[in-house]
Amino acid sequence: MAVRAVSLALGPQGPDDRARGGFRPCWAWLGVGVRYDACVIGSGADGLTAAAWLARAGLATRVIERESVPGGRLAFREFHPGFRAPAFVDEPAPVPDALFHAFDLARAGAILVPAPTSLAVWPGRAHFMRRGETAFLAKMQLRVAALRARAEAEAARVPPRWTLLGKREPTPPWPSGDLCTESLDGVLRRHASGDEAAHLLAQALCGRTADPFLAGSALHLAVPSGGGVAMSGRLPQALAGIARDAGAEISCGLEAIEVARVKGRIAGVTMADGSVIEARAVISTLDLKRTLLSLFRWNELSGDLAQQVNQFRFAGGTARLLVALEHLPGCQRDALRGPIHLAPSAEGFAEANAAWRAGTIPPHPPATIRVVSASDPGLAPRGAASVAVTLSGIALRPFDGAWTHDKREALRTAALAALDAVFPGAKVLASEVIAPPDFEESLGLTGGDLWGGEIAPDQMFAARMGPRTPIAGLYLGGPSSAAGVLGACFGGFVAARALLADREAGRP
Amino acid sequence: MNARRYDAMVVGGGACGLVAAAYLARGGAATLLLEARNKLGGRLETIAFGDGFSAPAVTHALSALDPRVMKELKLARQGLRFSARDMALSVLRRDGKPLTLSRDRHATRRAIAAVSEADAARWPLFRKRLFAAARAMRGFWWEDGALPDERAIQESIQDLRRKSAAAWLDAAFESDALKAPFAFDAMAGGLSPLDAGSALVPLWQAAQEMCGLQGAVAFPAGGPASLASVLERAARAAGADIRTGAAVESVLLDGDAVSGVRLASDEVIAANLVLAALPRRRVLRDLVPAGAAGFALSNALDRAAPVTAAKILLALDRDPGLPAGRIVVAERIESLAAAHAAARAGKIPDELALEIVSPSSIESGFAPAGQCALSIAVRPLPRLDAAGWNAARGDLLKRVLAALGACVPNAARHVVASEVLTPFDIEARYGARDMQADIAHMLSPWRARVATPIRGLYACGGDAEAVPCTSGRAGRIAAAIALAERAP
Repeated sequence: MAVRAVSLALGPQGPDDRARGGFRPCWAWLGVGVRYDACVIGSGADGLTAAAWLARAGLATRVIERESVPGGRLAFREFHPGFRAPAFVDEPAPVPDALFHAFDLARAGAILVPAPTSLAVWPGRAHFMRRGETAFLAKMQLRVAALRARAEAEAARVPPRWTLLGKREPTPPWPSGDLCTESLDGVLRRHASGDEAAHLLAQALCGRTADPFLAGSALHLAVPSGGGVAMSGRLPQALAGIARDAGAEISCGLEAIEVARVKGRIAGVTMADGSVIEARAVISTLDLKRTLLSLFRWNELSGDLAQQVNQFRFAGGTARLLVALEHLPGCQRDALRGPIHLAPSAEGFAEANAAWRAGTIPPHPPATIRVVSASDPGLAPRGAASVAVTLSGIALRPFDGAWTHDKREALRTAALAALDAVFPGAKVLASEVIAPPDFEESLGLTGGDLWGGEIAPDQMFAARMGPRTPIAGLYLGGPSSAAGVLGACFGGFVAARALLADREAGRP
Repeated sequence: MNARRYDAMVVGGGACGLVAAAYLARGGAATLLLEARNKLGGRLETIAFGDGFSAPAVTHALSALDPRVMKELKLARQGLRFSARDMALSVLRRDGKPLTLSRDRHATRRAIAAVSEADAARWPLFRKRLFAAARAMRGFWWEDGALPDERAIQESIQDLRRKSAAAWLDAAFESDALKAPFAFDAMAGGLSPLDAGSALVPLWQAAQEMCGLQGAVAFPAGGPASLASVLERAARAAGADIRTGAAVESVLLDGDAVSGVRLASDEVIAANLVLAALPRRRVLRDLVPAGAAGFALSNALDRAAPVTAAKILLALDRDPGLPAGRIVVAERIESLAAAHAAARAGKIPDELALEIVSPSSIESGFAPAGQCALSIAVRPLPRLDAAGWNAARGDLLKRVLAALGACVPNAARHVVASEVLTPFDIEARYGARDMQADIAHMLSPWRARVATPIRGLYACGGDAEAVPCTSGRAGRIAAAIALAERAP
């Protein structure tokens, strides 16, 4: 009630505001608080990066986080006494090198250890790959670098204030447009042979759901993952430290429920507890649907925009099982430190995708096993092991209703079967299921989609919104933005760059 | 031995080949058409089955006969008549109520409104936009023109080539009854409705004009086979010679140019222009000497369509009361996508999608009085070998009858005869493979689609078209390009 009262009271401007050339909503006179230059919603890697970048540029910045600690998807969880594991992703997406150095993340305490090896296992055979050995992956990294450069250029280009009808300036095309019409299977088959192609496929689709035979699925190659294990989960702390040092405020335990606007301009953010944070601009690191459909009232969006947002598709399909093993499996040490893909062939991925579409739980979903305590020994007691199993192709909403206890057990059985296939006879002490709805609930991701929307040609690059949105002063910096899928921290960084560029050009 | 010397040779006597021969002859080239079978027309053939029934073997309606071909070859004067033009599209689903989309705007609106008010309101705008884009693209697909330069068209093309038919239809309509037939049509080239770019297929189909009516489907008097005889008369009238029962074994080269063809009977016919109205793959891999096509090209030709289509002909002793026109039996986009995935994995899908035309309800002569012949196209189906299809033949018929029975109760009980043409049969009999629609192919100019790396050799088979159809356009344009590029 209090919230509604405040937002309805956003009335005409006071005379002293006009004198100052700005505007102040009525609560300013109530003495609610200071006015920030920017408010960042969400304190994942993207949100903290955006805040640090803005604060370094001298803007009064505040970060709002719903959970009690910053970190978002990088959070760790103690799922059994003495056993910890990253709850949602084994490794964050790669942090762009330039950003890593600009923030001097290593000195701040964030150590990212890339997996030295990768193993793909099929019944009766296996394929082993060392880091940096595959020329194809290096080629893909160049593509991603080109895409990042394009995203940064987009952020720096301030849209013209006035456009003559039909005189819109053409935007330069995004690189890698050729991937939009090709199938993932086709591209990999062209560049690699047999087992290596299947291994690269498993690596590209780890935790994701896609039919590798469909035209356009090759875009998964442009969306990198596996940026290295963040040791002890210290990446968010490091980023938060940098943001705080630069002068940003980080408030945890606050949930944003509405972006308040006065005469079409961003005025502030209303919290679930009724308090209001005044800010001139907002960077949202939530996904597209959550940002535009839950932070704005239904009648605030134009019909076209609401339709565009509504039609944005989300895929998700990731589920995880955190397992505490009594003994560290006896295996070559190097192999344990990397992912072990128990992934089927391309046909198997297509089948898993069909099951995901139909809303059934496949008996043998593609799985990736990660002995997280092998690269980070602090995550498990001495001699024991913490293991995370990532499954893909798991439906958010099963066709026969909600995620009941039985379905979670079925998921646990499927994941443990995958684990048993790789480490036969390993003794399981405890395990915790993280089903797709848990992703949606804990991280606030629509559809439980870690990539902020289905990776499809009509939903990537220019077709993704962001960093600028049709609402002046609102920037999209999360996974749903065009830059958000190109690396950890990168979406937030690009949104902050766009905000600064606009400010310099005198835009609200 | 043939005494006459020929300037140009057309290999293959299907619709495209006949049109190409007619145009070459009109262009002043002494032309000879060679057909391997004893009969012209290829896929246009009508076959008899059961007791007094007959039905078109493969092509059961003309979706896109080029109006220029009709006019320039004076097909009406050669005897082409239509017994049904602008056939309505009906959707049959398990809920039993057919939804009929016809050119009558008001009737269509009412029919859609019975399913969904919102879709009925969106329908006119949807059609208008589709046909506006199709009209703007006319120069590109009627002639060897470039893509229109207009920015709005370019943008909508760029948009559609990245969109799957599923996403496009989900954005346009809310009811499955309306989405399903369009998704089925989008699968015509072997694409899944989830493939990026499959939204372009319906745009192509909308653009294909027939008698000046956009996107119209027609049934010639006497069945599609009559088109073959009309085209044959037109080709002969233009001055082309036609030889049937003359299988071409190889195309002879002189350096990088064509010098003639060798028949299976070892006869050599010289000509420095050869238009092969055959699948491009067959022309460049089987007819020319190995290596002549270049490595990259023959590699690209290895891509076969992952899914195929079959044809089932049914004789019913009573008219089942199906709506007139073209009927599509499909439930939802999701079920079509699942069927495509299953077919690609080598399984016959559980839920089959059908396209039905009843020739006997359009004109008499296809079935004894009071009875009914149905021509049913089934897709998507897996690519199996001869043995696989022989084993699956009975299963396929059973599933088709079940799918039909789910929408038309009692239909299965009245079946008195049936003929199953599996994908393998169709390929073996008519030599045509199922084409793989390809977005790059759809948006490439005609020249790139008909020309080959070999001078004087052009491929103008059905796969030169962007989407499968019987338009004759490939023949007309290939002939025009070939004549223009002919060495003086």
